[in-house]
Amino acid sequence: MKLSRTKMALIGVICFSPQSLWAASCCGGGSATSLVLPKFSTSMINIALDIEDYNGYWDSNGDYKDDPPGSDLNQYRLNFGYAHRLSSRWQAAIVVPYVWNSNQYAGLSSNTNGLGDTTLGLTYEAFDGIKCVWKVRDWKDLVPAAYFGMALTVPTGISPYDDVVNSFDITGRGFYRLDANMLLDKTIYPWNASLLLSYGKYLERDVNREYGNYVEPYKKELGDRMLGTASFGYTHFLENMDTMTFTFTYSHLEEDAGSIDGRPDYSSEMEKNSVGAIAAYSTMNRDWVYKLTYIHAIPDSGQGQNFPVTDILTVGVSHVFR
Amino acid sequence: MLSACDGMTDDMLPSGTDERPEVDTSIMGTQVGQQSPDFAMFDTLGNSRGLYAELDVPHDGVVLYFNMWCPICDSHASHMRANVIPLFPDVSFFLVDYVSGTISVSRDAQLANGYGDIETLVDTGQVVFDMYGASMGTTVVIGNDRVVRMNEDYKDGVKLTETLQALP
Repeated sequence: MKLSRTKMALIGVICFSPQSLWAASCCGGGSATSLVLPKFSTSMINIALDIEDYNGYWDSNGDYKDDPPGSDLNQYRLNFGYAHRLSSRWQAAIVVPYVWNSNQYAGLSSNTNGLGDTTLGLTYEAFDGIKCVWKVRDWKDLVPAAYFGMALTVPTGISPYDDVVNSFDITGRGFYRLDANMLLDKTIYPWNASLLLSYGKYLERDVNREYGNYVEPYKKELGDRMLGTASFGYTHFLENMDTMTFTFTYSHLEEDAGSIDGRPDYSSEMEKNSVGAIAAYSTMNRDWVYKLTYIHAIPDSGQGQNFPVTDILTVGVSHVFR
Repeated sequence: MLSACDGMTDDMLPSGTDERPEVDTSIMGTQVGQQSPDFAMFDTLGNSRGLYAELDVPHDGVVLYFNMWCPICDSHASHMRANVIPLFPDVSFFLVDYVSGTISVSRDAQLANGYGDIETLVDTGQVVFDMYGASMGTTVVIGNDRVVRMNEDYKDGVKLTETLQALP
């Protein structure tokens, strides 16, 4: 029995998970789809588990609607990340997710899993020294850590254009995307603020198959993607100098309409607003960071368009090698 | 891990080659050019609706949109309602709900999603869904001669409009 579930959202969430940021220049950071290595460190590994619960969606007018009665839709992702310092100002990273889909409808259920889309990153640090300060003694103490980078999404996941028998198998979006990223981060202990801006462009591709069925070939391109995430946090030092950091975030994500054989495809444009909270525990020397993140998409009309409304709980751990 | 790599290159190296198999139009089937077999489903008002019975009523054809009440489904159905349905008053349009399982649940979903004005059929057990090899968004057009004219994703509605314009 063929089950059909184009979990575009599921795919999209892999790519769209709002960045969870905190004092990047001091502790490193990033999210499930990007990694930021702290200054003066050699490499970092990161493992994070995302638990995503779907709670309705915004329609094409931006109105909120519930999921079908009797449905319980979830996705789980285990993200493996590695970042490596190439030089004093350059670093590279890779993030590979493995995805589990759990879909329960009133009339059917499905549980599938597979590799997701891989992200490759290259980042330039436009600063040399640590930008976390305790006091502002000079205007230079206000200068944030600035990161400029590129990220390439490689479609290693299972997309609607693959040889899939069951469309509940979808774990990826099927397109290459190149993002230009800018991250500004400033810590004046105990306070921290960050701003991430990202602009991404998808590569147009040929399509000759949809959910395992060959079709008349056509060209498809997804619309340009824009992401902005602002965060504000507070760090509490424990007696042993380990730290607890609490951060609040707001993200806005949108994609323009894509195209099919050059014609605008308005069904593909989307928008999503979400708020988040992060609690991070870091050892004194910042070698180990344990993080709990909650991202909540706002289930109200006007807070999104053409996209599922989800809550994402992430549990992760990073280890930095000096 | 190896099984997870199966087909990975399909998206990394996409193909634009036409790989559609030859369709034997002399036999009944659900591919374009074949005469569709009959089927029956209940609509969300509890009425049994058969394909051949629908086609026996004098009009141009039947459109089936396979729907699971998701964002893309809504986008497609909304576009179809605004841009396609008004152009073809002599065609019967149906949403086919293959996830709700029962008439009452499907009716609730239909109304909650704002599609009380488009007839919705309840494909309990995904029988018709499997028959047409459908997925979410698959749009099937069957002419009044019972021949399948379209069986592919809705995309932007252009192919559906062209197909309906070409109905005999």
